[in-house]
Amino acid sequence: MGQRNFLGPSGTVLGHGEFWLLTLAGFGLFFGTWWGVTALGLLPAQTLPSPLDVWQTLVRLWERPFAGHVYSEHLGASIRRFLMGWAIAVAIGIPLGLLMGWYRVLDEVITPLFDSIRFVAPLAWVPLAALWFGTGIGGPLLIIFVGSFAPCVISAYRGARLVEERLVEAAQMLGASSRQTIWHVVIPGSLPSIIAGLRVSAGLGWQSLVGSELIVVGAGLGYLMVQGQANLETSVVIAGMIGIGIVGFVMDVLLRAVESAFRRRWGQE
Amino acid sequence: MSEIVFDGVTRRFPLAKGGDFLAIDCIDLRIEEREFVAIVGPSGCGKTTLMRMAAGLDFPTDGRVLVGGKEVRGPGPERAVVFQQFALMPWKNVRENIGFGLMCRGTPRAEREEAVAHYVQLMSLAGHEDSFPHQLSGGMQQRVAIARAYVMNPAALLMDEPFGALDAQTRIVMQEELVRLARRNPRTVLFITHSVEEAIYLADRVVVMGKRPGRILETLDITATRQAENWEAEPIEEVMDSPAFTHLRSRIWRLLKAREQEAPAA
Amino acid sequence: MASGRGARSWLGLPRSLVLGTFSVVLVLGAWWAATSGFRLLNPLRLPAPVEVWVAFQQILDRGYAGGTLWSHAQHSLGLVAKGFAVAIFTGVPLGLLMGWSRHAEALINPIFLLLRPIPALAWIPLAIVWFGLGDTGKIFVIWLTAFVPSVINAFTGVRQVDPVLIAAARTQGASTAQVIRHVVIPGSMPMIFTGLRLSLQASWTTLVAAELVGAFFGLGRVLNIAGQDIFPGMIIVGMVAVAVCGAVTTWLLGLVERRVINWRPAV
Repeated sequence: MGQRNFLGPSGTVLGHGEFWLLTLAGFGLFFGTWWGVTALGLLPAQTLPSPLDVWQTLVRLWERPFAGHVYSEHLGASIRRFLMGWAIAVAIGIPLGLLMGWYRVLDEVITPLFDSIRFVAPLAWVPLAALWFGTGIGGPLLIIFVGSFAPCVISAYRGARLVEERLVEAAQMLGASSRQTIWHVVIPGSLPSIIAGLRVSAGLGWQSLVGSELIVVGAGLGYLMVQGQANLETSVVIAGMIGIGIVGFVMDVLLRAVESAFRRRWGQE
Repeated sequence: MSEIVFDGVTRRFPLAKGGDFLAIDCIDLRIEEREFVAIVGPSGCGKTTLMRMAAGLDFPTDGRVLVGGKEVRGPGPERAVVFQQFALMPWKNVRENIGFGLMCRGTPRAEREEAVAHYVQLMSLAGHEDSFPHQLSGGMQQRVAIARAYVMNPAALLMDEPFGALDAQTRIVMQEELVRLARRNPRTVLFITHSVEEAIYLADRVVVMGKRPGRILETLDITATRQAENWEAEPIEEVMDSPAFTHLRSRIWRLLKAREQEAPAA
Repeated sequence: MASGRGARSWLGLPRSLVLGTFSVVLVLGAWWAATSGFRLLNPLRLPAPVEVWVAFQQILDRGYAGGTLWSHAQHSLGLVAKGFAVAIFTGVPLGLLMGWSRHAEALINPIFLLLRPIPALAWIPLAIVWFGLGDTGKIFVIWLTAFVPSVINAFTGVRQVDPVLIAAARTQGASTAQVIRHVVIPGSMPMIFTGLRLSLQASWTTLVAAELVGAFFGLGRVLNIAGQDIFPGMIIVGMVAVAVCGAVTTWLLGLVERRVINWRPAV
């Protein structure tokens, strides 16, 4: 048709070909600039290693230990720690949020405490964690817990509060007890909100894990990066970042899929 | 020069699963200068699409749309639009919403303020100049929308079910007001509605459309009847009660019903 | 019992206030009892309220880890402000561009896709390699943190502007520049501010982390040194200071938001 587009994004239709061309161009722009800068020697190799260097380092780290372990061991250590800390946050946070949403009294007692602690950045707990747990695993677990706790509570709380009043009234009219109502109405009704909250909480928890590993000694991707930085091996640092990014990405994709599945099942998509 | 001409206009929409949906099939329609034409028809008959093409917000697959002898290439203030959802900018107050087009055009401030004040008076919005849309009722918001269309002194007015979002009582009041305004300030009007009564009451001519595909079923001339019965002198409830009115209404309903039975909804 | 609407009041005060105060007092009381009162806990694990107060006095007057409480806080706040400002002025325009132009979106999205999964904290070691332990590195990391939410929210903000408003503006003769200025930008403001609030909180988290890893000044450094010195009272002071700064900046942002978005019904 070839008319001018007057309506902005809602009036634009990007053809398949155009879209993929631009997307490829985008990737090309990124890697091209990276490679170009290093190939032209605009920055010292120590500051920015070329993509090839990073790849070779990744391969090397996979086979030979650095900072005490092979790459997969660092990766495994990080993931294990994260899952433990996150599981605790979810196991405590979600029931707590649901109960706070349901029992107003509980809400009013806990919220002021919650609000006062919420503003302390998770990593600010590191020195205290070191005080309490020394160099044990408790330290990182606490940090991950602190990082992922709030979204769990808040999303469960919102989920419970936003369960349609009509549904609760219908259940009560049909003679359901408080416990039955919670089990059959409130919990399923808050699931969408909870699952959305899980995604946010996992992201924040993973970030807290990385942060704690920058400081606390041991194995792990964060530790790997800090050692890389200390040894001025920038490609090791970037190799660590890539691993962190991939795990975070995979987690997010998985949780999004779960969220979608739930919404489709209950017709909200 | 403001006559609106639809010349062999066809509109097809591509379907997601492939193929085309024929929304409008080869429509010829001419709206004379200063004529008030209402298009009436069921949802999906393409009447809104016709209006959007005259407005320049959509374009025909075949055929041409001309306003004042020139082919329509895009939206512009000479073909002012009043939308069903009001489309007022929530972050501007009444005064700013009405004066927006003038501001875009670069009209000097004093002139702009005068024009806005004039239409504020005319549309009974006095006292609300500084209010924001969310503080106004539906009827008032639509008054603002009409004021902002008129203030541009457009050659043609295009109205897309402007009273569709209002409650029944407000709607009747607005219909009376629009008639008053249109007689006082005549210009070419293309008015889209699915209310048969509204169409007969407001228009000089009523075009009845059917759907699947969108086509003109019949055109009725109202002016003769209106002048003969002297509707302008009567309140709206009397007009809508009169035999001449109900006769026209039944005729159009019969047309629409017959068409519906020929091609029932899927 | 539960979905209880309607504030209940005890002794003429809203119940929430009474309960809230009660629980805070209870916790504080337990804290005191466990530490100085009954000495249930090793003071090295949890400092007594008195110790915290002493530490607070010290850092207020004589300073700690290279500065007074105020100078550290000021330093940290300054870095957050700078990083945040750069992030908004780069992120929001980019988001607006990507929102308005599907072409720009297709081109730039891949880069986002690649960089987004990497949490801002993961950039700290690289930032140290590039910029050392000084301010530039910190501002860089904060910029990274605050940049992405700004872009995404500006982008979403543009996309959710009602197309009818754009059409209406066009029928009044608005040019593209006028449409963007008078429709798209005001329309995206609510979402942009949501993004700003998230960015600000994230900025604090990142700054504290970056300063903990290594810095010459700042609240994070206070925490770091207090940890190394095994000075529990000071650790608590540092944590409280971080919380207060976070709360205050969030509140300030809320004020700005209310001034800019003055056209909404009270929500």
